[in-house]
Amino acid sequence: MANITLTSSDGVDVTVERTVADRSVLIKNMLEDLGETGESIPIPNVNEAVLKKVIEWCDHHKNDPPSAGDDDDNRRKTTDIDEWDQKFMQVDQEMLFEVILAANYLDIKALLDVGCKTVANMIKGKSPEEIRKTFNIQNDFTPEEEDQIRRENEWAEDR
Amino acid sequence: MADNPELESFRRQWREEVAGRSKPRNAPHYVAPDPQPARFPPTQHEASHRKDLEEEGPPPASFDPEELAQQVGQLSVEPERQHEEDGFTRTDHHEPSSALEHFERAVEKEAAGNLGDSLQHYRKAYRLDASVDKTYRNKHFAHVWKRPAQPAQSAPTDPKPVPATAPVSTEDAVHIPTSELIASFAQLPIPPAEPLVENTPPPPCPISNLPSEVIVEILRYVGLQDPATFGRMSLVCKRMAYHFSHEQHIWRRICQNPEFGFAGMHYTFACDIHGYPIYTLDGTRYTPFPKGVSLEIPKPLTSWTQVFQSYPRIRFTGIYISTVNYTRPGAQSTHQTVSWNSPIHIVTYYRYLRFYPDGSLVSLLSTTEPVDVVPHISKENLMAARSTYPKQHHRRLSDQGQTLSGATDHVPQVALNALKHGHRGRWRLTPPVPLPENTPEDQIAATGPNQTEESLDPRDLVIETEGVSSKYVHLMHLALRSPSASKSQVNQSKNTKLVWRGFWSYNKLTDDWGEFGLRNDRAFVFRRVRGWGI
Repeated sequence: MANITLTSSDGVDVTVERTVADRSVLIKNMLEDLGETGESIPIPNVNEAVLKKVIEWCDHHKNDPPSAGDDDDNRRKTTDIDEWDQKFMQVDQEMLFEVILAANYLDIKALLDVGCKTVANMIKGKSPEEIRKTFNIQNDFTPEEEDQIRRENEWAEDR
Repeated sequence: MADNPELESFRRQWREEVAGRSKPRNAPHYVAPDPQPARFPPTQHEASHRKDLEEEGPPPASFDPEELAQQVGQLSVEPERQHEEDGFTRTDHHEPSSALEHFERAVEKEAAGNLGDSLQHYRKAYRLDASVDKTYRNKHFAHVWKRPAQPAQSAPTDPKPVPATAPVSTEDAVHIPTSELIASFAQLPIPPAEPLVENTPPPPCPISNLPSEVIVEILRYVGLQDPATFGRMSLVCKRMAYHFSHEQHIWRRICQNPEFGFAGMHYTFACDIHGYPIYTLDGTRYTPFPKGVSLEIPKPLTSWTQVFQSYPRIRFTGIYISTVNYTRPGAQSTHQTVSWNSPIHIVTYYRYLRFYPDGSLVSLLSTTEPVDVVPHISKENLMAARSTYPKQHHRRLSDQGQTLSGATDHVPQVALNALKHGHRGRWRLTPPVPLPENTPEDQIAATGPNQTEESLDPRDLVIETEGVSSKYVHLMHLALRSPSASKSQVNQSKNTKLVWRGFWSYNKLTDDWGEFGLRNDRAFVFRRVRGWGI
């Protein structure tokens, strides 16, 4: 099994197995198009730390069966995350979102799902103010706008 | 309740205060109940003639628990926390001492529907301070009348030139239509928070780097997990508000899913009266929005958001409570010297309904207050409570063994005492379209007393529960309604109220129908319970 070299945005070469790299649809397609030239593949949007993290995930999941069809149900039905992935995602928020961005860029659907579920779990059950605090988001509504949106959308499931 | 003049006068005072501070409106009049007709034919229950069945306004009597509950909800000291709290956990109440505290406790009790206790606290409050209502008003509603009317010119971005001659209310001049407002949010970034200390780097806000498609993906998971949180996302920032209202596919999926949507609704009974599933041959059940087919939004509605909001739907994330108050004269003490003071008891009891997605439910009639029993209402605890008192209940307990062990550990005795009188049952909605007749069912409702008027109102709900002994079956007919409109919210939660249409018992041995009077009974109101269904 051939090994492949990836070059991160900060210029570090990382060598991975072909099966691991194939978890990324982007890299897989690229390899199929170009053939294995032995040259390293630049990953310009992902730095070394994130790339290693992503490769760690791909390595653990390299033997997963390919997800059954792009859409929709099987993949989305379950909102729970398996234990290993939960541990894997116990990182600070910057790393979490970097991993999500990298998964999106490298087209690794399953990893993107895990990341989005993790974020969704962080949101679950919180109030708008708590959500803002969690993600350091500023409230950019004027009080009037906020009131208007609230009245439009607040048909609470809560009551 | 209405024939207690003292309570009425308190009620009237309170209502006048409330009405006076919001806007002039018709004070609800107490409508005298129609004289009871001598005898109904058994095909119609007197409850189906009630006024509040059709009108969705305030109930005829002046007691309006939803409205009060809302007002009290707005009063809470930490409004941001109220999403989390469901009101069913006992917080440490210190006994009220000042007049204001008594008044506040009274309002709280009244909102919970417990008029007896409420009256006591009102009484003490007024005794301590005759003008306590003003103090209360100043404390909790000061902002309402201190806020001056907004001057009209504050909408420089208003894209629509308003004809100068058109009479425009100040309200309209200030607000752009919400859809346009939201559309204008489309490309806005997620704004990072300001630094906590000036001239220091702001806290990291990595979520603002995400592209739209990833944000939508996250929102989809949030929506599928819990539509309520999804709703709150729209208030986080402008960008979220935009995605919230424009990602209709998320709403469609929520509608189709069984957890919150309509795949969880049953239009035929899905289990027997004890909650054991019925297995049908073809295994397909009617659902209004099946997956894998191209769907159209039902006619008068224009978005999946509205479908989710207004299509008849039973909620599994909480409890439906009907609070009933009635008065009865107390015993006259022979030693009493003051003869004009004849005691009147206000009796409060509650009907609880908890629905399950598998078509079963738990029905409980109890005087135990919601805070004591609601968090523990479940099929498992019901069976556990029964098994603790096996002598009184010769039911099929042996096959429940696996759920019993340990179930009672954390359930307080007061809840168990209430729960042992609970009944298991099953529910179904009325299908919006006539179902094919090839669904044979052992439903009693089909042979029920009202077989002649098999209605097709999709808001109608049929419930069968166990009776007081195994030879009886109770049949409830309820209908979903929306709470009365209040001025604080444009979009109210819909279909969270269950009004009575009839209540019978059926004797399986003698094939007899008996009718329960519902003179005192009031509509069920939905309250969310934390940890249920999510």
